[in-house]
Amino acid sequence: MTVMRSVAERSLRLVAGRPWFGICLLLLLALVVLGPMLNVFLWAFTRNWTYPSLLPTIWSIEFWDDTFTRADIAEGFIDSVWISLIVTGLSAIICLPAAYAFARMQFPGRTFFLLSFLATNAFPRFGLYITIAVIFFRLHLIGTVPGVVLIQLVNTLLFMIWIPTAAFQGVDRALEEAALDVGASPLRVFVQVTLPLVAPALAAALLLTFVGAFYETQGALLVGVPEVQTLPVVMIRLINNQVIVQYGAILSVALWVPSLLLLVFAQRVLRGNTIASGFGV
Amino acid sequence: MTVTGSRGSLPEPATYSGRFRIPQSVLGYTLILLPLLVMGTLILYPAFLSVSDTLTDRNPDGSLQVSLADYAEFFDTPLAVRNLAFSLRITAITVAVLFLLGFPISLYLRFTRGRLGDLIQSLALFPLFVPGIIAAYALIRFIGDNGWLERFLVLLFGYEGFTSPYLRPAGIVVGLAWEGISITVLILTAGLSQIPDSLLETATDVGANRWQSFWRITMPLMKRSVLIVLTLNFLTVFGSFTIPYLLGPASPEMMGPYMRRTFYDANLPSRAQVQAVITFLISGIVSLLYVRSVVSQKVEEES
Repeated sequence: MTVMRSVAERSLRLVAGRPWFGICLLLLLALVVLGPMLNVFLWAFTRNWTYPSLLPTIWSIEFWDDTFTRADIAEGFIDSVWISLIVTGLSAIICLPAAYAFARMQFPGRTFFLLSFLATNAFPRFGLYITIAVIFFRLHLIGTVPGVVLIQLVNTLLFMIWIPTAAFQGVDRALEEAALDVGASPLRVFVQVTLPLVAPALAAALLLTFVGAFYETQGALLVGVPEVQTLPVVMIRLINNQVIVQYGAILSVALWVPSLLLLVFAQRVLRGNTIASGFGV
Repeated sequence: MTVTGSRGSLPEPATYSGRFRIPQSVLGYTLILLPLLVMGTLILYPAFLSVSDTLTDRNPDGSLQVSLADYAEFFDTPLAVRNLAFSLRITAITVAVLFLLGFPISLYLRFTRGRLGDLIQSLALFPLFVPGIIAAYALIRFIGDNGWLERFLVLLFGYEGFTSPYLRPAGIVVGLAWEGISITVLILTAGLSQIPDSLLETATDVGANRWQSFWRITMPLMKRSVLIVLTLNFLTVFGSFTIPYLLGPASPEMMGPYMRRTFYDANLPSRAQVQAVITFLISGIVSLLYVRSVVSQKVEEES
């Protein structure tokens, strides 16, 4: 024990405040974190890549046309877009009024009910999906769009309630009262004072929900297949069938870049720790 | 109008309705009813139904009786037991790996200022911005046979003995660790940032060395963050599907892919229910610990 302690003590002293530790960490993280994504980017512009060359042997963009004219990818894209739109819209209708109530109204059990949405994180996710799928099976919702929408809705509740609740709580009530005092109607105060102040956070919550639903894979695979095939489900088939590496790579690049931009925007708008709050922190 | 200091005691200007005033509690309950109903129907009811389905058997005369036969059958099936043990092993390894990677990074970030720290933080948070399915695809190309990692090792270090973790148990650990590192670092740095510098300086002033102040001050104050990270990672990994399905071996398999195969390929929904409830029961204590620590933190923040 004392040996372990002194070893740990020495290593702690070595590490703290030494720039070389940070530089090693940076290089290692860069390789491990960025490596896979960079690799996929290269594959998207490759015709031929022989082993063990580090870069593609023959560069080409010829697969881009093929990828986007594939019927399954085009249909998957359309399905994904409108299913995600429905999920986001539905989630907003269900959750935003509740978020307002949680932020602004006093009622017994308010904190308890607000925290009860943690239940969405407290189950092992796929086990929960199985129990939902069993019910959908009995209700003939397997292989239908409503089935996929409902199972994806489960994921959205916590974010769509906690982020907007925090946003509504952050609005300075003195501003609203000032507007009321000079004779504005409550509705007008809400639309012209409250809403503009919470709009960035609401937009971020909607974006996070949309992106989350668009790439949601396991629920859609469990409940949607074979009739409803969202884009991630098509991706899974491309991976399993190992057809042509480039299809999956091009799809990844084409889909990831917009999602990255949206998510970076969402994170700019929200305070640093808000995303962590979705995990209960 | 008077402006009072506390949020709760403000008058309610926005809740008049014609001449009748709706009590705020009634309006509040009405507005939160819908999401609570959705949670009840899509989370609590399915879980409850599966528990009651698997605990009861139907007698020939149509009446129900409590029975553990379904569970006995699960534990009598060698394949099922093997997959369960495999899932627990992979989960334990991944949770440990995430902690051992995430904690030093977070400590470093807490005590470092400047551009290097910012860069490391951005890199550690980067996986949060990569959707799981794209990450899975990228990792297959990167760690797979003849993938980029192998090429790097061969060309830069002349190392020929690379065995790809793809489609092996290690592939699952790699994939889940890649996905989970961001949230691990995020939670731990949030916890560490709540420890004031002044406290650590005071400790140094009264003669504590770095190790003592770490062990006596940082660690006790980090207990809750560490508990949240360990329990959340356990639940995420144990309940995962996509990474084990795409990066892991066909046999043994983790509970996620196993349950899907039982439900979909073998078309045995009731047996998949038993498997699902067993995952609930095993993670029950972990779930309770997770919820308890998050709730205690939130309640503290509110007050």
